[in-house]
Amino acid sequence: MAHRHRHRDRSAPEPRVDPRGEPFLGTRFAAPARPLTFLRRARLADRLDQGLGTPLTLVDGPAGAGKTLLVADWAARLDRPVAWLTADPADRAPGLFWAYLLQALRVAGLRPAPGIGSPAHPSSVDRALLARLAADLSGRPEPAIVVVDEFERVPTADIAEQLEFVLHHASAGLRLILVTRSEPLLPLHRHRAAGSITEIRGAELAFTPEEAAALLAAHGLRLSADAAHTLVRRTRGWAAGLRLCALAARQSADPERCLKEFEAGHSVVADYLLAEVLRRQPAGTQDLLLRVSVVERFRPGLADALTGRSDAERILARLRRENAFVEPLGQTWYRLHPLFAEILRAHLRERHPGLETELHRRAARWLSRSGSLTETLAHGCAAGDWEFAARALVDDLAIGRLFTGQGPDDLGTPFARMTAGTDSPARQLVLAARELAGRDLGHGLPRLRHAEELLADDTADHVPDRLGCALLEALAARLTGSPGRAERAAGRARDLSRSVPAERLDRHPELLALLLAHVGSARLWAGHVAEARAALAEAVTRPGGAATALPRQDALGHLALIDWLAGRTAGAERKALAALREADRYGLPAPARSAVAGLVLAAVAVERDELDAAQALLDRVTADGHGTADPVAAAARALAGAHLLLARGDPGAAVAAVEDRGTAVVASPWAADHAALVASAARLAGGDPEAAAKALEPVARRLPACAVAAARARLAAGDTGTALGLLDTLPTPGPGGPALTVRAALVRAEAADRTGDIAAARRLVARALCDARRERLRRPFREAGPWLRPLLATAPAHDWLVAGGGTRDATGLRPAPVVEELSPRERDVLCRLAQLMSTEEIAADLYVSVNTVKTHLKGLYRKLSVGRRADAVRRARELRLL
Amino acid sequence: MRYEIRVDGHLSKTLAGAFPEFDHVVVSDQTLLYGPVVDEAHLYGLLARCQSLGLCVLEMRRLPE
Repeated sequence: MAHRHRHRDRSAPEPRVDPRGEPFLGTRFAAPARPLTFLRRARLADRLDQGLGTPLTLVDGPAGAGKTLLVADWAARLDRPVAWLTADPADRAPGLFWAYLLQALRVAGLRPAPGIGSPAHPSSVDRALLARLAADLSGRPEPAIVVVDEFERVPTADIAEQLEFVLHHASAGLRLILVTRSEPLLPLHRHRAAGSITEIRGAELAFTPEEAAALLAAHGLRLSADAAHTLVRRTRGWAAGLRLCALAARQSADPERCLKEFEAGHSVVADYLLAEVLRRQPAGTQDLLLRVSVVERFRPGLADALTGRSDAERILARLRRENAFVEPLGQTWYRLHPLFAEILRAHLRERHPGLETELHRRAARWLSRSGSLTETLAHGCAAGDWEFAARALVDDLAIGRLFTGQGPDDLGTPFARMTAGTDSPARQLVLAARELAGRDLGHGLPRLRHAEELLADDTADHVPDRLGCALLEALAARLTGSPGRAERAAGRARDLSRSVPAERLDRHPELLALLLAHVGSARLWAGHVAEARAALAEAVTRPGGAATALPRQDALGHLALIDWLAGRTAGAERKALAALREADRYGLPAPARSAVAGLVLAAVAVERDELDAAQALLDRVTADGHGTADPVAAAARALAGAHLLLARGDPGAAVAAVEDRGTAVVASPWAADHAALVASAARLAGGDPEAAAKALEPVARRLPACAVAAARARLAAGDTGTALGLLDTLPTPGPGGPALTVRAALVRAEAADRTGDIAAARRLVARALCDARRERLRRPFREAGPWLRPLLATAPAHDWLVAGGGTRDATGLRPAPVVEELSPRERDVLCRLAQLMSTEEIAADLYVSVNTVKTHLKGLYRKLSVGRRADAVRRARELRLL
Repeated sequence: MRYEIRVDGHLSKTLAGAFPEFDHVVVSDQTLLYGPVVDEAHLYGLLARCQSLGLCVLEMRRLPE
């Protein structure tokens, strides 16, 4: 099967587990086997054949209308592979639905191209992934046939819209067959108008009298034409009704009378017939059928656990042979016919009130030994057995999934109703994790402390509890900016993980990856950059594919920030983009995405003087919310915002943006240093170099960036010697990335220009241009000042300095870049100029003298290199200053 | 708000137990289920429940308060 794909893309391992980290349920990819008594109806199979000519086929009818068996039988006889997926209520989470759909293709041998990826997150799927899937399907020589059975179980508009998107873009490459009880939310009217849909609805699915007679004949019952007509009228040709009829009649001593009684009655068809058929079963069988109605699917072992007997295997084999109630799903799994399950549950409640809870408890216990964690939790929680469910989650080392799998149908959802209850560490840990995942520190932190106290008092090992605790500790440390606490958590996790078998840790790779990302974040906050980078890099390179996508992109975002802080713009951008790609590829929902990555991109855009792009990036991070929950993200947000405000000429607001210090336990050295840089730049823009230099005094020697900024301020204050002295303190070989070296070179150039050494100034400007060009760093030149203009005029090609490129003015020349910021007052004057106010009006409006306005006008003309007010307004518009 | 659901056929007491929040009464060859409906989600849930029990819903209407 598909040898071509043996060499798979190493970066995109095929997922062995769904986005919740659970193994795929094989039974969901198998079309049910047809019972011996199945009646093949050629007229319907022909309609399905016709359906291959339209992109969409809808098989739409009531429960028990025989939809599934019709399509299963047709698919089995087709000489082409058919991907089969039985939908599940959990699939309302789009990430899960699409992960299962991709797996259904793989199982059927219709392997999607490896580069398509797989959703990592249960609750969302990336649009680009769907586009890649559609492109892959549309490029196939033969359309892929995909059946989604029980589609009514995913009644969400999202999935309908996504299916429509793939259907549309895959054009002839996909034949989608939806089997459903209720009409799906796809735009059916459009498909009908375009003739791109084949519909097989209830009326067509109903049995004709001839078909009913044939079905009963298959059960060994002979029916006259009249009797067949009456039966069809009574059952409305309903397949399940006819099947139950046949069973009831066959089991009765007098089949004919049995049918007559039914026909004459006024009972609800399924209600009456099911009760009849059930009544005729042996007591043990009845008991088993009622009890298994609480689970979705079962094996003989689980059925035995529910009945407390050991005869399930025998009973199920018999029921299967008789095609009564149960449907085999393969691999010894069974399920009740969905219609019967509901009715049997009603019987269970009547016969054994209160037994349901106990049955859920038994199912949870059996499943925890041999089934999936999700089902264990669902039944444990349904039984209200919180202690058991929490313990199962913690012992499985799955607590990290409460963070990586957040969404409408995440692993934690069953716990929504759980109360604090007893003092059990597992229960307290699960509650604390849910609270911290929701960023509810007020409840989460005290609860975590309580869990730790409980564990400290306990002498037993409880390794899973302690590991879970270490993860939550690392997160708490990150959220509170507490590096010491993070180190202790990391140390404990390291020791504990040695005593856990590797394969158990491998099943939940997210646990250690999350922990590393949290520790890295806390270290970065404290300014331990090298140690932070080590932890973050490990979080990025840990295996785990989809399961670790969240911590991976989180860590990449932080690595990007480290680069940006050191002035390495290109590296910062590359890592931030890698973080976003990772988030896209695995379809992480907005709140789970690295806010820091988006903020770094905004800051990089500011350095390039692409201010609108920067604003858009900042707005997006703000709109996504959540993102600034930890101090690193909050500081990054403040800094990116402040630099944008500086670039837009609003130094006051820039200073205000970095003034909010937050509530971290430990102050961050770099956050303080960079706040001082913003304050200094704001003072310089306001024309107060002394204050600018003063703002940096306490920190000037801590960061190269501060030394460069301090040198610039000193130079602006006329103190060339001190300025050069400060630059000489910079470490060699380079103090950092180009954002720093370019600024340092420009300060030296300005100093040389001051002392009349024009040749040296030219050389330094040329070097700055050369360093800046590759990364399109325009900001340092915008900041520099008017001295730069004549030097730039003779400098080698620097067209790129104009943001946005191609705008040329009427003379065919590119407008000279503004090389000196307008002061806030000059901006005020400029705005009023644009409103055609006279000098006198402007003076009155601003409460200043006419002469002061004239001074500002002169400054404006000089900075905009114009001679008249009309030109000033025009140029200001070109430069997007207005 | 209160609703009435009219289904085809006589509903057994057992199956009526699947609607514990509703009363029911059998009239000629139909069954009326009636009772309080909390919100829209409940309403659609009721319809789905009817469907999964194989009931044929003839009418569903809101009762005057």
